[in-house]
Amino acid sequence: MAKIIGGLGTSHVPSIGAALDKGLRDTPDWKPFFDGYEVGKQWMRDAKPDIAVVVFNDHGNTFFLDRVPTFAVGVAETYNPVDEGWGPRAIPAFEGAVDFSWHFVDKLVERHFDPMVCREIEVDHGLQVPMELFFGRPEAWPVKVLPIWVNTIQYPIPTPQRCWEMGKVLREAIESWPGDERVVILGTGGLSHQLQGARAGFINQAADRAWLDGIASNPEPYRAMTREDYVEQFGSEGAELIMWLVMRAAMNSDVNLIHKHYHAPASMTGAGMVVLENAA
Amino acid sequence: MSEAAATIPDTPLFDRAGSIRGYRINKMAMALGQPANRAAFKADEEAYLDSFGLSAHEKSAVMARDWHEMVRLGGNLFFILKISAVDPTPITRIGAAQASMEHEDFLHLRLGKKRNG
Ligand SMILES: [Fe+2]
Repeated sequence: MAKIIGGLGTSHVPSIGAALDKGLRDTPDWKPFFDGYEVGKQWMRDAKPDIAVVVFNDHGNTFFLDRVPTFAVGVAETYNPVDEGWGPRAIPAFEGAVDFSWHFVDKLVERHFDPMVCREIEVDHGLQVPMELFFGRPEAWPVKVLPIWVNTIQYPIPTPQRCWEMGKVLREAIESWPGDERVVILGTGGLSHQLQGARAGFINQAADRAWLDGIASNPEPYRAMTREDYVEQFGSEGAELIMWLVMRAAMNSDVNLIHKHYHAPASMTGAGMVVLENAA
Repeated sequence: MSEAAATIPDTPLFDRAGSIRGYRINKMAMALGQPANRAAFKADEEAYLDSFGLSAHEKSAVMARDWHEMVRLGGNLFFILKISAVDPTPITRIGAAQASMEHEDFLHLRLGKKRNG
């Protein structure tokens, strides 16, 4: 069986990728943010995963409003970075964990999930930025990816409870996979931010800091919260945090919080990271 | 959900009504992900907007870069950000416009950045 070697949570703000593209890593605005991720990068180098499952949302780059899958799963051989309007980015394409991805799709449908299954699709900053934060800028990515898209753009978005349930199926898929790959799961998005409406610029640092600890030690309240609670506490786009629940539910109920980092603001977002390992 | 969420002040959620209302404006903006469309937009903005069937009101909101109005008309930030990429307009300026604040005030009061100088 494949092995879950860690669960990571991270923001995926597009400005992070843009800052790297423009060589702004060590400017006063960005240095404290990127410095805090160094321990996460080191953890990843030591952990040597074979597959990264990345749970994220598209931001009007791959999916338009003509068809909005609540959940979509990639089974492609290659995922190219999509042009989000600023032109193509100089980062390598992502190689898909094709067989394992199909296995996950099989498990999902067996467990009464009905995902859209994607054979040819590009990925936006939701996947790109977490990969850059944990793997840097390699010539080629050292892992294959399994992308999971969650709709967090057009309401109704899925409930936190449903994201949690998907995480349980993800774990089952990993544990029933005959290979011996080492799998890392990245729940991405958030933390607090709001881009639309007169409350734009809303950041809730207290809620963000509580999230980074709570998602490790006591995720139950976050699972029980409504979507409305997420919007109220974390802002309209901060509701992306429901995607971390997919990662968290795939882990043991007892986890060790190995690393955490918080920085606000990154662009208009409270940005943060956790590295979790299953407790022995 | 959308009715309950409507009770969070100053926080529009992109629901059925917004998705229907903003469909044309968002479709026009989505297309700016392609370089050829960005070139067409730059060459003749009004003609580009006409080719997506935008109303006069929608066109004037886009051409004036009235971000607040674009959102009110159903524009979703993730799509209309592609307009800002062509300009380019920093996202914090779009935030400040929606909050009806000066940019510096927005950076300080909402995002918690230190004031310059
Ligand atoms: Fe996002």
